[in-house]
Amino acid sequence: MNTNNNIYTVVYTAIIVVVVAGILAFVASKLGPAQQANAKAETLRQMMSAAGIKSTDEIYATRNADILQLYADNIQEAYTIGLDGEKNGELGITKDNIQLVDRFKPQDRAIKDGGNATLPVYVFKSGKIVIPVYGAGLWGPVWGYVAFEADRYTIAGVYFDHEGETPGLGAKIKDEPWFREKFAGKTVEWGDTPAFRLEKNAEASGAANAVDAITGATMTSKGLNEALNVWFAAYEKHMGNAAFFSMLENHAINAEED
Amino acid sequence: MEYVSLFVKSIFVDNMIFAYFLGMCSYLAVSKTVKTANGLGLAVIFVLLCTLPLNYLLNKYVLQPGALSWLGPQFAEVDLSFLSFIIFIAVIAAFVQLVEMVVERFFPALYGSLGIFLPLIAVNCAILGGSLFMQQKDFVNIGESAVYALGSGVGWYLAIVMLAAIREKMAYSNVPKPLKGIGITFITVGLMGLAFMIFMGISL
Amino acid sequence: MTLKETFLQPLFKGNPITVLVLGICSSLAVTVTLKGALVMALSVTVVCGLSNLVLSLLRKGIPNRVRIIVQLVVVAMLVILVDQILKSIEVTFPIDKQLSVYIGLIITNCIVMGRIEAFALGSKPLPSLVDGLANGFGYGMILLIVAFFRELFGSGTLFGLQVMPAGYITNNLVILPPFALILIGCIIWVHRSVDKELQEK
Repeated sequence: MNTNNNIYTVVYTAIIVVVVAGILAFVASKLGPAQQANAKAETLRQMMSAAGIKSTDEIYATRNADILQLYADNIQEAYTIGLDGEKNGELGITKDNIQLVDRFKPQDRAIKDGGNATLPVYVFKSGKIVIPVYGAGLWGPVWGYVAFEADRYTIAGVYFDHEGETPGLGAKIKDEPWFREKFAGKTVEWGDTPAFRLEKNAEASGAANAVDAITGATMTSKGLNEALNVWFAAYEKHMGNAAFFSMLENHAINAEED
Repeated sequence: MEYVSLFVKSIFVDNMIFAYFLGMCSYLAVSKTVKTANGLGLAVIFVLLCTLPLNYLLNKYVLQPGALSWLGPQFAEVDLSFLSFIIFIAVIAAFVQLVEMVVERFFPALYGSLGIFLPLIAVNCAILGGSLFMQQKDFVNIGESAVYALGSGVGWYLAIVMLAAIREKMAYSNVPKPLKGIGITFITVGLMGLAFMIFMGISL
Repeated sequence: MTLKETFLQPLFKGNPITVLVLGICSSLAVTVTLKGALVMALSVTVVCGLSNLVLSLLRKGIPNRVRIIVQLVVVAMLVILVDQILKSIEVTFPIDKQLSVYIGLIITNCIVMGRIEAFALGSKPLPSLVDGLANGFGYGMILLIVAFFRELFGSGTLFGLQVMPAGYITNNLVILPPFALILIGCIIWVHRSVDKELQEK
């Protein structure tokens, strides 16, 4: 058979394309749910690791099904807010209907353009409140979760992740427990610019809202610093007022004496 | 300004060879003399510059989750992103074959110097890698993707011409026998990569 | 060539990385940890073996003018399948995320295309499958050697388990991508000192 004539070539190519497309569409539709379940469990792991439900190592040793259960057992409520700080939606929290806002890119754009944002807030039974942050690192996006104590201005824990920061340098934001641990106990100054500082030698100033940047990972640290501040600013209206009152409560005696 | 910084960043900071090590096979194989390196480098710039914006449009209007919503609201949920590898590589391969035919027919002189590199380029990781990074970086418009393509191409071109120049000189050096040729080339590229890391801290 | 020779050739004398210098791109980026290297090695082995098999079966019918595109489509399909499967298994999901674009880049891994062109299009299905798998193993072997040194000295661990004594200060140079090139250079050095036939004039 002459395999070089035009009709044969076109028909052959068409058949190959149809067969390949069919196989791929079939597999993608079959495996889609399992992939989404994996992605969801990963998000829950990062969130609960920030909130300190269990240690990060324990959480990462837990299987997917148990992670869903662990989340359902510990979550109080989850909702979304707009840039005005008002609640604009509820997120499901029962084990079979866990809803998350885990695509940050559109939200990040909405924050920067002042559009319609739906920013998630996760309140755990322990009183801790978890919010996400997202921004650009050196090679790709960096993101993470920041957990606040019930007073809404003390950081209880964090978890950061990235797509492709340099191993051994920028990747430390995820890989090094000591970096995450530095954030615990720090505070966020809602309404200040910047609300939080992740900078070179920031700790030397003694400020409660400052953490030292990672040596050798200037751009990743800068990106993470911007991610924190941009997203903190977006949550300020929601978190800031409540934080102000709880701060007043904590210092009530001092305030009266003044 | 955005464009200028993206351009400089994609040449030096995000250098295809020294930061991502893409297109290494042809990089190592065709860098023996500056003349051939020059030809391959130019071909890479050209193909990147043409295929990357094309793939950008395909990604934006066909492949992304919800990209088909311009067809009507009922298509808003369609997610074809699992097809992106195959679409990107098909565009690249088809484009390369097309260019080869056009160049051969109308510019025989150019074909003589550049033509032999074109088949090599369809399977050059730097080209497909450029499209995959474009998808990951999520550029705002086609202009940014074109600037990124040009910058990546120029970065690759610079890298291969530099290595070729070093290798031409190294031919006269007294290298231990088992290291001769490809062995010492690997080590040279490694050292060049370390040198290029100084650009990582530059903020643009 | 017997099947046994077909299998042994790519492991040493015709090793795709150190002798043929193919498929270098991914071998540098994914060798920071042994886990990543192992998943990458297995993925390449599967894709290389199956694409050789499929194209050897198709070899008599492929129109010559669209040969490269048909090869790429078949390889791309296999790579997408591997990527989708890795994403849907709980254990490999985080590793697939870590490998990011490098899984996709198996499509342009020169080993895969190189073996199709050089072997599968002119051979029967069974030897083609063996040749593909063997090349995958030869590639994986180098990947694991490089990853072994990089993880041991760069993170003080092997497969994520601490093996260096406490207080070991991790070597950041080893983790940086350029060091993988230098390591492969050294592997070539050792390989060619042992096997003098391979030395370049």
